[in-house]
Amino acid sequence: MNQRASEPLLESAFLRQLDRLALVLRRPMAGDIQGERRSPRRGSSVEFADFRPYARGDDIRQIDWNLYARAERFYLKLFVAEEELNVHLLVDTSASMDWGAPNKLHYARELAAAYGYIALANLDRVSVTAFGAGPGALQLPGVRGKRGAVPLFAFLQRLQPGKHGDLAQACHRYIQSARATGPLLLCSDLLDAGWKDALSALASRPFEITVMHILAPQELEPDLEGDLKLIDVESGAPVEISANLDLMRRYKAHLAAWRGEIESFCNGRGIIYVPVDTSVPVEEFVLGRMRRRGVLR
Amino acid sequence: MSLITPLALLAAAIVGPFIVAMYLLKLRREERTVSSTFLWQRMVRDVEANAPWQKLRRNLLLLLQLLLMLLLVLALARPYLAAQGISGRNLIIIIDHSASMGATDEPPTRLHAARERAYQLIDQLPDGGRATVIATGGRMEVPAAATSDRRELRRAVERIQLSNGGSSDLSQALTLAAALAAREEDSEVAIISDGNVTLPTNLRVPARVSYFPVGRATENMAVSAIALQPGTTGQTLFVQVTNYGQASATHRLDLYLDGAIFNAYNLTIEAGRDQSLIIELPPQVEVVEARLDGADAMPADDRAFAVSPATEATTVRLVTAGNRFLETGLSLLPGLNVVTVPAATTTFTETVAQVPVTILDGVALPELPPGNLLFINPLRSTAYFSVTGTIEFPQVRPASGEDPMLRNVSLSEVSVLKAARIVPGNWGRVVVNSDGGPLLVVGEREGRRVAVLSFDLHESDLPLQIAFPLLLSNLMNFLAPGSGAEAAQLTPSQPLSRQMDATITEVRVTRPDGRTVSSRSGEVQIQAGQAIYADTDALGIYTVEELVGDSVVGRHRYAVNLFAPGESRIATQRDLSIPQTSGASSTVSRERDSRQEFWRLVALIALIVLLVEWLVYQRNGLAYLRERWRQRAGDRQSPLRS
Repeated sequence: MNQRASEPLLESAFLRQLDRLALVLRRPMAGDIQGERRSPRRGSSVEFADFRPYARGDDIRQIDWNLYARAERFYLKLFVAEEELNVHLLVDTSASMDWGAPNKLHYARELAAAYGYIALANLDRVSVTAFGAGPGALQLPGVRGKRGAVPLFAFLQRLQPGKHGDLAQACHRYIQSARATGPLLLCSDLLDAGWKDALSALASRPFEITVMHILAPQELEPDLEGDLKLIDVESGAPVEISANLDLMRRYKAHLAAWRGEIESFCNGRGIIYVPVDTSVPVEEFVLGRMRRRGVLR
Repeated sequence: MSLITPLALLAAAIVGPFIVAMYLLKLRREERTVSSTFLWQRMVRDVEANAPWQKLRRNLLLLLQLLLMLLLVLALARPYLAAQGISGRNLIIIIDHSASMGATDEPPTRLHAARERAYQLIDQLPDGGRATVIATGGRMEVPAAATSDRRELRRAVERIQLSNGGSSDLSQALTLAAALAAREEDSEVAIISDGNVTLPTNLRVPARVSYFPVGRATENMAVSAIALQPGTTGQTLFVQVTNYGQASATHRLDLYLDGAIFNAYNLTIEAGRDQSLIIELPPQVEVVEARLDGADAMPADDRAFAVSPATEATTVRLVTAGNRFLETGLSLLPGLNVVTVPAATTTFTETVAQVPVTILDGVALPELPPGNLLFINPLRSTAYFSVTGTIEFPQVRPASGEDPMLRNVSLSEVSVLKAARIVPGNWGRVVVNSDGGPLLVVGEREGRRVAVLSFDLHESDLPLQIAFPLLLSNLMNFLAPGSGAEAAQLTPSQPLSRQMDATITEVRVTRPDGRTVSSRSGEVQIQAGQAIYADTDALGIYTVEELVGDSVVGRHRYAVNLFAPGESRIATQRDLSIPQTSGASSTVSRERDSRQEFWRLVALIALIVLLVEWLVYQRNGLAYLRERWRQRAGDRQSPLRS
């Protein structure tokens, strides 16, 4: 990973292409400060939204006097608020992510960087949280604007794989601590018994969640032969198998069923599920597959 | 089942735990780090819940290896089954290949059955055991001597062919076997025969003797004698048919004259009896064949041949001072032309071809005439013998029981007054002996046949007895072969010999099977004025042609007939009485004597287990190949799908 740190995370040509993209939101999201996104709140933009009768305590500056002249009643003229978005990038850095060729963690970094860059290009606030390295999560508090891309990329490149991460616990903690909701991108392999718990926790607040389910080709099509003892890179727990054609076939069926289970679980909670194969180049994936999935536009 | 080396089983106790230990070590599987065992864990749980036999399958390799090891150890322990047969490590197989082994009651012949038996014995031979194969009956042969090479032994047994000649005399073979057995421990003699053999009386075999009888049939009818004699107007055929079986039988006897059927006679003969036919035949008949029809167990003795005796008489020169007995005796013999020469004659100008035989009766010649010689009452020593004195009242007794010179001759009544004491050279064999010296010596030296009768016929009562013409006939058959009716008949393997003129350049013999052999190729030998052809084992007519240049100057036929009562009695003996060192003389082989080892079979099974183990070990690869093949087959079937 270190030799990669010297290289730029994303190519500049790729970044120029990303400039033309934007995040797709299915509903307006509230932000903290004024920005360029429609907010569910009424605010001070130039775009008219609605009228409402004056109630005591309202700002009299917003009373529409023309309407008063006609109706002789006080009405407030409401405008659409435009606020920034809080984009949440969650990167799983558990040891299981630092595996596979191409490396899953590196792929997750690139995906997060691309997604984050698109958000920054649209003047949104991007915060990154990496969990997996022990109980404490590594956080990049929100950065804004294109200037924020530099610390974002630097942060992502600094990410080191942790040892053992409890995905569900990390998600619970994140949900409790996150102030504003917004688009949330989870980059993980979900190879954790608590994946359901984790996704449920994220879905408990109105985030717009996209799950990047990153799996290496070695996990999709394992090339195993003979009597083996498989060692879990995180827990070290061994599993003894006698790999043969039949077992491989069953493994693939099992994997497909598991992915199907995650997808239906996500569909039930309004989560966008995007399966990722790290053998697909990240540029092609972002520009092609993610747009087709309706994550980007 | 028992084991020869049960200690080898200890190897299982050593190797078995070793294999198990290695397997347990092997159970520490190759470790492979994966991102997560999350998926695998769930699946393996499924698998283990579904298939409790999975564990057993994982141990299949171990079980196969243990099985392989056990089989190999078992093979090392050399298991065997007790079987009828032999147990010795030095085996001497005596196979009878006399004519009676050609009986067809054990199809195809008894000899085949005997060979099969011999193969079995060779297979039963313990490892490292050696065997000698002796073929007896007729000429004794030792085609394989003390070898442990089973293939060579089998080849040797395979090479043994039926021999019509000779008698089934086991003495020689058993003597050899006894000598071989005495040299080594743990010897065993196996006799494979039909039991119609002559056994030595005074031999004790220093080994166990097992006799494996061959053959079932007892009934056999044979043409036991045939002769064709010139008669007054034509020829007289004498045929004798004997029933050697144990029940009365009826057979038809067909007579063929020069290959064409002449007549048939129905003969019903009681068991053990014979019946003779005397038939007048036209004079121009040359070859007569008598054939018993119907299938009996032994076809070899159902046919007999007779040839018309040579028409030209053999000239015999009789040098005598006058001997009426001799002259009368000779004149009774057919085919002889006796020329009497006065005793004073000293020079003889005739060649051997003209006068092949000279009888010197009580004369002493300074120079012996050419040709074969019969000395009667020699007066002084010659190149062939020395006369050293006289014997008074010698006790006449035959030297051996079966000399052809004494066929049908009984000497028990003969008395001799005085005989010359002669000392023959080593060319001769003594036919009639006495206390003081030999009375009759016959032999052959430098191609010349010589017989010496050491007493004057006038000083004996021999001429007055029936033995005299018979002895004279036998002697003349010996001295003048080719004369008389008997001369044209040979027993199998008896060399065919014929006096030859010096002008003859080539002799051809046409065998019964139609093959022609010639003196040019060396198969017929010409030496010292005699043509000799020795390979007369096949029964039938042999035609001898004498050639000068390219033209045939003489043609003579010889008939080879079996005429062996010992061979024609085909009933199998169930036991042979042969004294053995153990004191037993029965040779019936007992059950459980032999060890039939089968470690080869065990080793073969081990090999198969090894193959199965390898296949099980490689089952993944095989499944993969099968999958690939199926895919390819699927692709071929639906090329559009891709």
